[in-house]
Amino acid sequence: MSMLKIKDLHVSVADKEIVKGLDLEIKAGEVHAIMGLNGAGKSTLANTIAGRDDYTVTKGTIEFEGKDLLALEPHERVGEGIFLGFQYPVEIPGVSNLNFLRTALNSVRRYRGLEDMSAAEFMKLVRAKAAELKMDPDMLKRFVNVGFSGGEKKRNEMVQMSVLDPKLAVLDETDSGLDIDALRTVAEGINAQRRDDTAILLITHYQRLLSYVQPDVVHVMIDGRIVKSGGKELALELEEKGYADVA
Amino acid sequence: MQDQPMTGYESQVQALIGTLPGTDDLRAQALEAFEAEGFPTAKTEDWRYSDIRALRKQVYGLAAPAETLPVLPEPLGAVSARFVFVNGHYDEDQSDLGDLWQTVQIRPLANHFMANAERANELVRGDDAISYLNTALLRDGLVLSVPAGVVIDAPIEVLHMMTGAEGAATHIRHVVELGEGAKATVVERFLGDETGYWTNALFQARVAEGASLSHIRVQEEGANALHTAKAYVNIDAEGSYTSVGLSVGGKTARFEAHVRLLGEEACAVVDGVALAASGQSHDTFSHVSHTVPAATSDQIFRTIADSRGKTSFAGKVTVAKDAQKTEADQSFKALVFDKTAEANAKPELEIFADDVKCSHGATVGELDAKAIYYLTSRGIDPATARQMLVAAFTAAALERVPAEDVKAAMADRIDAWMTARSVKAVA
Repeated sequence: MSMLKIKDLHVSVADKEIVKGLDLEIKAGEVHAIMGLNGAGKSTLANTIAGRDDYTVTKGTIEFEGKDLLALEPHERVGEGIFLGFQYPVEIPGVSNLNFLRTALNSVRRYRGLEDMSAAEFMKLVRAKAAELKMDPDMLKRFVNVGFSGGEKKRNEMVQMSVLDPKLAVLDETDSGLDIDALRTVAEGINAQRRDDTAILLITHYQRLLSYVQPDVVHVMIDGRIVKSGGKELALELEEKGYADVA
Repeated sequence: MQDQPMTGYESQVQALIGTLPGTDDLRAQALEAFEAEGFPTAKTEDWRYSDIRALRKQVYGLAAPAETLPVLPEPLGAVSARFVFVNGHYDEDQSDLGDLWQTVQIRPLANHFMANAERANELVRGDDAISYLNTALLRDGLVLSVPAGVVIDAPIEVLHMMTGAEGAATHIRHVVELGEGAKATVVERFLGDETGYWTNALFQARVAEGASLSHIRVQEEGANALHTAKAYVNIDAEGSYTSVGLSVGGKTARFEAHVRLLGEEACAVVDGVALAASGQSHDTFSHVSHTVPAATSDQIFRTIADSRGKTSFAGKVTVAKDAQKTEADQSFKALVFDKTAEANAKPELEIFADDVKCSHGATVGELDAKAIYYLTSRGIDPATARQMLVAAFTAAALERVPAEDVKAAMADRIDAWMTARSVKAVA
């Protein structure tokens, strides 16, 4: 059974149609990559899956594990098991990373009918995840993303993903702005999340990340539609020949 | 229309003549000044943001002692003493002096003047009709004198409760004196029922050399109350005064801080948070006066106005010609939840010295939609997300509350206010 099933999706932003009839199916255990140039609608697709409210779905459906995803609020989608890694993580002065993570985790647990995690258990979990992703533990005490470098922000996104342990992770340009060491660490974080019962949708410009996280399926997105799909070799072909020739 | 309320107050003053030793002349002078000045109007510049039409429509009688004593809330944290005033009358039974009386001179104002009539001369007379009226009609309050070098760790809580006082007022007066190097925290709380009463509070303090006074105000008056409060504070060299307020209650509420830095390296902090729900108005007016060199002042205000709520801040800093090396900062940030919410800011700097560091900033905005989306995209529901952002927004203005438990209690009230907003939005 498909985990995510998108049918004939049309999305408008400020009355301009950006996604123009997109179909996509992702099964548990799969890693998909969507590649495309700026303005192709990749980020709009990612944010529509997450439920950003100024993006209007004018036509089509998104089902997640058989449920109508579009009927759910953003926080409910997270409860169902969706995670969006932001291209531009937001800075939140005054809210500590730890408070943010703990509130997020306990919100998701409550949505799933679980008890809050105890403070001690939570600290143990977060410290372990931060260590896996080579994040300085001091950054957990700092305000969310405030004063973080581009790479630190992306690493922070991976820590959040890893703590929330989603079924489907949609990672929007998680590789952009990273040096090679940070890219490797982030890729390790993604690979750790890759399991038989999870799925990952990578959105990227470049093939670079895909040498560390090997996708099962690669899609090419141009002007709001997926125009071509194939195996991981399609990414290399794109890198070599450019989008115009491949599509 | 002006005349009628004035006459009403005259008879109230007459009735108090002879009740407090040393105060008769003071009352007469204050009444005269009150009558000459008259209540502020919509045209009075310093009062333009406050709706005090109620003062011109009716004469507020003097609140009688409560017929039935209300149940009092627990203190906001660990306290070294607690003083309770119900309808402006000292309630000995519900007050708790702790061990404080052993080190500190502390007693109700009435008893104080019974013993030291001449000390009535030290009472601040006021600077407008409302404060003159406080002086003309004062009956009770707290007199606290902390001797030099004495440090009182836990706060002294002063609880004001108004009950069954429709159309009535209390003109309460607290007098605080800290000797050299002394240290104390006074937490003033204002509570009341749904009646249309008026709390007119005046707090006067003298902070001697190297002493440190924290003055925390938690204003949770009843929904129909008028609340006017003033603090007049003089600070000597190396002394410090820290005022942190939280204004949530009342229909119309105003706090004024008049702080004078009288000695070098004296320090004044006037911080506060105000939360205005529909139909409420919270107004803060501060005047910090740098009269000598090398004193500092810092003010952080964070206010939030919901639909049809109004918050205002007017901050005046004056730096005298000789007050070189003055440092004065002022930061005012307001959130408005929709187009019917109102936030006003009026910084005013009068600087006559040339070697000073003075700054002020004022911003008005809405909660950051991107931040709300980011928080909700991590599973946090929108109401909690807004609550977190509001807690973060107001944190800087509560930071200087010295007692952690009191600070936490104030933060809890901000959370509760946000919870009430989200419930209302859903309904």
